[in-house]
Amino acid sequence: MKSLKNIEKELTPKEIAESLIFPDTRSPKQREALLEAYSEHRKKGSAKQSEKAKLIALLLQLKFLIEDYIASDKFNKELYFGYFLKEYIQRLEKKNKEFAQEIDVDPAELSQIINRHRKPTEKLIFRLEIHSNRNFPALLWFKILEKERAYELQHNRNIIEDEKRHVKQRLEFSF
Amino acid sequence: MTVENPLTGEKLEVIIEPAAKEDFKVISKDKIRFSAFDWNKYKEKEVYKLRLKTDQTIQGLMCLRDFPPEMGVNALEIELLEVSAENRQAGKKLSGVAGCMIAFACRESFKRGYQGWVFLIPKTYLIEHYSSAYGFIHFPLITPDRPEGIMELDTIGAHLLIKKYLA
Repeated sequence: MKSLKNIEKELTPKEIAESLIFPDTRSPKQREALLEAYSEHRKKGSAKQSEKAKLIALLLQLKFLIEDYIASDKFNKELYFGYFLKEYIQRLEKKNKEFAQEIDVDPAELSQIINRHRKPTEKLIFRLEIHSNRNFPALLWFKILEKERAYELQHNRNIIEDEKRHVKQRLEFSF
Repeated sequence: MTVENPLTGEKLEVIIEPAAKEDFKVISKDKIRFSAFDWNKYKEKEVYKLRLKTDQTIQGLMCLRDFPPEMGVNALEIELLEVSAENRQAGKKLSGVAGCMIAFACRESFKRGYQGWVFLIPKTYLIEHYSSAYGFIHFPLITPDRPEGIMELDTIGAHLLIKKYLA
């Protein structure tokens, strides 16, 4: 391990700041005092934050959670399209009916999507992109649906079985 | 999420992921590239590594400490960060490694409901450099023993850093 003095000999302060963050070397008691003071500062900072900044933070949180869920290998049946849509509406502090009007969708249709009784249409997804001013692009919403679809196909073969009678001819071999 | 090859200007995709037990073995053997800290002391903590998408070599390490609302702080602390030796000085192989990791910490802060707030405890002579490099704001929380206080990124600063490094 290199000593701080050696690091300071080799690198300029700018280079150090661009490549290293050092651990706090305070005693537990000193650190506790510091964190207590910071906690007060943090509370004040939060109270001073504008409503817009708070909303941006809430929406960014939702967007990052969606992105990570899409990127993960795991499927969670609670995290379906309607769940994320409901979160989006709630974070905007809107009622479902009000939101349905804003994107020109029948409130009953919106409710069915949120409650997983109906799949969203492409039009709805495009309108979500427009409503969010492209902060939640259509592709993001489609990827949630795609993940749901992939899980359904893996775990519910009946979807395929039901279609068998419609296929009159098929390949005679498999790879 | 990309870093840059300063020689060619080429953007290279990177991945930031939790460091696994095997990584700590590699790091402790790789004393030339990771010489500033004893990372083994942090292996039970929340440590992330940055690597190129196409390569397993670790280019940077970062330890985060979570201060949830019940602890009264509601923010993430970057407890420790180290960019590998070859990426630090003039002639470095990759630039933007630390920026990506700090932006990742900001993203984690948003995800955990801390509104993007991230802080670090600086050495006094580095305060202006953390500020100019990453937009950290110095908050001089004067305690009897240490005058350097804390540096923080709030919602706006964190969002700017995410847009710069993770978009």
